Amino acid sequence: MKISKHSRRAFLRGAGVSVAIPSMLSLLTRSEAASLAASTTESGVPLRMAFMSIPNGVQQDHWFPTTDGDTLALSPTLQPLESVKHQLQVIGGLKHENATAGNDGAGDHARANATFLTGARARKTAGKDIHVGISVDQVAAQGTSGSTRFNSLELSSDAIRNSGSCDSGYACAYQYNLSWSSATTPVTPEPNPRLVFERLFGTGSHGQRQKNFEIRQNSNRSVLDFVLEDARDLQKKLGSYDRHKLDEYVSGVRHVEEGIRSTEKFGSVPDPTQQTPLGIPNDFGKHIEINLDLMLLAFQTDSTRIATLLIGYDGSNRTFPNLGISEGHHYLTHNQRVPELAEKVAKIDRFYIERFAAFLEKMDAVQDVDGKTMLHNSMIVYGGAIADGNRHTHANLPVILAGSGGGKFTTGRYLKVQDKPMSNLYVEMLNRFGIATDSFGDSTGRLEEIF
Amino acid sequence: MRIKTRTVGFARSFDCRCSVIAIALIFSAMSPHSRAQSDENQFQNVILPTLKTYCFDCHSGDAKEGGVQFDSENQDGLRSDKTLWLKVLRNIRADMMPPRDAEQPSRESKIALTEWIHAKVFQIKADDPFPGPAPIRRLNRVEYRNTIRDLMGVDFNAEVVFPPDDTGFGFDNISEAMSLSPMLIEKYFQAARSIVEDAVPKTTWVTPSTKWYGKEFQSEDHSKNGKSIRHDQPVTVQKRFEIQHAGEYRLILKEKLDGSFDFHPGHYQIQCLLDGNELYTDKYKWEEDKFIDHVFVLSLAPGSHHLSIQLSTLENGEFEISEVELKTRSVTYEILSATLDGPMGEAFREHPHGYPYFFPREAPPADVAGRREYALEILSRFATKAYRCPVSPVSCERLVSIAESIYQQPEMSFESGIAKAMMAVLASPQFLFRAEEVETLDEVSQYPKVDEYGLASRLSYLLWSTMPDDELIALAARADLRKNLASQIERMVQDKRCNEFFESFAGQWLRARDVENVSIDPIAAMGFQKEYSILRNRFAGRGLGRRSRQNETAEAPETVTARARFTELNEMRNRFDAGVRSAMRKETEMSFECIVREDRSLLDLIDADYVFVNEKLASLYGLEGITGNAMQRIPLPAGSPRGGVLTQGTMLAVTSNPTRTSPVKRGLFILDNILGTPAPPAPPNVPALEDAADRFGGREPSLRELLAAHREAALCSSCHSRMDPLGLALENFNAIGGWREKEADQPIESAGELITGEKFSDIRELKRILKTDRRRDFYRCVTEKLFVYALGRGLEYYDDVAVNTIVEKLDREGGRFRVLLNEVINSAPFQRRALSQDELHQPQGQ
Repeated sequence: MKISKHSRRAFLRGAGVSVAIPSMLSLLTRSEAASLAASTTESGVPLRMAFMSIPNGVQQDHWFPTTDGDTLALSPTLQPLESVKHQLQVIGGLKHENATAGNDGAGDHARANATFLTGARARKTAGKDIHVGISVDQVAAQGTSGSTRFNSLELSSDAIRNSGSCDSGYACAYQYNLSWSSATTPVTPEPNPRLVFERLFGTGSHGQRQKNFEIRQNSNRSVLDFVLEDARDLQKKLGSYDRHKLDEYVSGVRHVEEGIRSTEKFGSVPDPTQQTPLGIPNDFGKHIEINLDLMLLAFQTDSTRIATLLIGYDGSNRTFPNLGISEGHHYLTHNQRVPELAEKVAKIDRFYIERFAAFLEKMDAVQDVDGKTMLHNSMIVYGGAIADGNRHTHANLPVILAGSGGGKFTTGRYLKVQDKPMSNLYVEMLNRFGIATDSFGDSTGRLEEIF
Repeated sequence: MRIKTRTVGFARSFDCRCSVIAIALIFSAMSPHSRAQSDENQFQNVILPTLKTYCFDCHSGDAKEGGVQFDSENQDGLRSDKTLWLKVLRNIRADMMPPRDAEQPSRESKIALTEWIHAKVFQIKADDPFPGPAPIRRLNRVEYRNTIRDLMGVDFNAEVVFPPDDTGFGFDNISEAMSLSPMLIEKYFQAARSIVEDAVPKTTWVTPSTKWYGKEFQSEDHSKNGKSIRHDQPVTVQKRFEIQHAGEYRLILKEKLDGSFDFHPGHYQIQCLLDGNELYTDKYKWEEDKFIDHVFVLSLAPGSHHLSIQLSTLENGEFEISEVELKTRSVTYEILSATLDGPMGEAFREHPHGYPYFFPREAPPADVAGRREYALEILSRFATKAYRCPVSPVSCERLVSIAESIYQQPEMSFESGIAKAMMAVLASPQFLFRAEEVETLDEVSQYPKVDEYGLASRLSYLLWSTMPDDELIALAARADLRKNLASQIERMVQDKRCNEFFESFAGQWLRARDVENVSIDPIAAMGFQKEYSILRNRFAGRGLGRRSRQNETAEAPETVTARARFTELNEMRNRFDAGVRSAMRKETEMSFECIVREDRSLLDLIDADYVFVNEKLASLYGLEGITGNAMQRIPLPAGSPRGGVLTQGTMLAVTSNPTRTSPVKRGLFILDNILGTPAPPAPPNVPALEDAADRFGGREPSLRELLAAHREAALCSSCHSRMDPLGLALENFNAIGGWREKEADQPIESAGELITGEKFSDIRELKRILKTDRRRDFYRCVTEKLFVYALGRGLEYYDDVAVNTIVEKLDREGGRFRVLLNEVINSAPFQRRALSQDELHQPQGQ
């Protein structure tokens, strides 16, 4: 048998079975050491939370199952999920009111992107006074801060930026970020897989990373005081707006400080046997796959329990030459009246689902200490804040909740709820994650239906 | 905000106080009450009659179109509504209001209205306009990379390591739009460390060292080299070298073994010889990315030597290897490098590469106090350069402490301590942000000037996207920069660093940057999509290769022709390949550069009798006789539709959809970036363009017909009648910028009419109208864009006076770029700043 050089070295191929992971026992001790009830299941293993977003809505009639109820009959678009459908629920009837036009006029894509994880209405501005709301993953991250080496991980498969303005008078920050650590500060996602890997595990090859990771942290430690003093000096000279900019700097430095403390707390840094991935792959599909593999690896090594992935930014007009689609995605979604073009939209929807399904399969192949699979002990939201890309509706959003949150959710079904805010789902997830809260974004209550 | 005190401070503040008293005296002559009365009289006698004549028809009483009512009862509220009056200004300037079929106010009335709005509504003094705030600005990716290059002498690839900067108001250097996430801080720390690692030497002395790479090891006939040698092809490669001094040397040989996986790995032997004497012999086999180091200590005589590597293939032992397997395996051996250190010994030692750049003395002193003093000297000089302004002694002391904390450790060098302190500088907010101090208040303005260091940075980041060079800083230090402003601007514009301005400013304003990433299918763009898909279904995957065709009997002539056509269409893809896109981008940048460097009129951007092209771009444009890959400026034939940015590949492609042109987006581009009168965003839930197709009863309508049907809806008409005619005038250019006479088999009709009434028959006439009748709109648009880019903030109502002044002057001076640049640099918003956020929204009128 001859295996090509390329495929033999493909990063993390079949990661679900071949990745060297720290012994599960040590994971268990670690989470016990942290003595946090939050972000763990009843059996004491880590509970993971992830969110990923697709752009431009979906071809609804191809996407949603036609019959609801306890046996999930997958629609044509969702077919690739067949082998893991017992571990997920397709949810219909969720909405994002704050993604609708309201009094803000055009700019649906930027607005939807900003609302997806925040449930908040983005203030319409081209660059000044940016304001939306904290995102659900960041509420979780801040609420469980210090329980893993990294509080959260933000990834992106969409690194292309155009110059000029973004969607209809909205600042670009709304369109390119999912996570917001406060109403005014987006958490920039990292598109480069190599940098994600090095941030998590250190630079260099297997065996050298721990040392390099420590060098990096020691080096940072020695300059922390200096830069904070410099910041204080500068602060005195500035007006109130500028002080706010400096506050962002200072809180970033605190974050580096926390990182150092948490490494000390957790002792050794996991060192996966894989090669460090190269930069951003040319192929879009590969880029999504490698990001999902990194997410899996971060979960497996318990480097973090919270992750987001911006699969494509909303409004993306990407073409899919590999699928024989030379028209742009955004353009196609506005031409669903032409059956031939609607088929292409469905094809793109399925392309995204295929990647998601492969990820879930890998999650389902990893066994946790409690004997369950890692997918079982997770809650993963896949979807977007536009329902129908043609009419730009924001009700009946395409949403999949994968994993059963440690055996709590009822999976393997198409759950139809009656026109409820997506934020209700987030409230329920936050509570499941150990963060007691009654509200989030524009929630009107909890979404008990998922249990 | 700290106001700088200088020795001249007393005299200045004294003057200042005098002028305040003088102003107070003038005003006290007129009581507040009588002033209010005179304002009211002016409004009643001058402004109100104009409004009554030209605006009341639609904007008074019950007729409050667009929600605007000039006779509203709340006159105080109306007359202080800055947003409303800014709209009024914009509309009358662009001739949008009154509508063109209504009676038009005279130029004098317009000027009077403008002055009234400036003075009474905006409360801005024409001779001392409110300069606005000057928010601190973080270096963006491009600025960071350039600044590191100039400060440290290394190239740091910020585009790979840092996430893209969020843009605001069309540019990526807008203070408020550039948020700073914790991840980015982490990256700044990491970047600081790796940059210092690369750039700053960690020792005083090193042994002389020479390094050769695999390629420099050549076989006798030069057909092979040490970069990659196959295990089954015996070969000897060698490197000859000379040494001057006899002595002890150290040779470090780094090798890499690699290969593809096979049933049976290949075995081979490597023998390494120096001047014919064996250094080592080893047996190797297939390995994946295995790295091997060999180190030898040698005693060498002066003169010529040669180092050779002999590879010989070994028997395969017990395994049977088939022919096929022999062919498919590719086990390779690579010499990564050979390093010769020596001669050893103090007599021969030298400074590491780049040492004097950071360390001016031969060697650091040995005593504690001397070291401290030297550290302070190095670090305060470095921090001053990095922070682009003098650094406080306290801050310098802190840096010295960092250095000491390292070099006082056993086995740690003085230099590595300095390096650590330099890392701290690169991670400091004073390096990453540009914060400015101000001068003492002067007598001409109530707003202070930015100090000269701040001005030096404003200039250098505007024109070079990098830190000020030594000359600018030296001038600022002597407070001579303002005195020499004109000559410095000239020097900076002619400097090669100014290319950054063309790439960043023009690249974003005219969206030239985006052409490299825009996704367009060239075959569809040229209108061959249907033909191509038929041919592809017929031939794709059926072996265009010779072999499969040999098996068929003679093909029918029709098949041969069709196949040739399929090949031809496939090759058309390269009309919009990476090379052509890059040429397009350069074309736009060079058009702008030419205007800046040669001080030509900005109107050349609308229309010019020359273009910048290389062979491939010229051929796409249908221009003949251009050869070579180099971009060249060529005169256009008379009557050519080309010339100016509207007919450049960049603009034509970035406004297109993946398979076709978009007249709407092109029209919008002209409104946004040429006329400066952007259309409001489309309302949500508009029906798609193609929905209008239903009315044509099965017939395929042309894009023009579709747009016309679309415009019938009142909701769409108000904006689309502005955008569409502009875009339709460009329909002769396909989505990749090539010329066409037809679209969907129908002749192109490029005639149209501007919302302001000017009629044109094609793009040539449209360009003529833009550069004559509408030139002031264009001047205003460029002025605003340049201000946004230069100030790093969006423009507000109070900037209107500065913009207006420049537009007037530009028009008098024929649109020369240097007039624009000089005026922007000398304007209040660029030279001065409001002191703090708290004063922001209260310009001090009277």
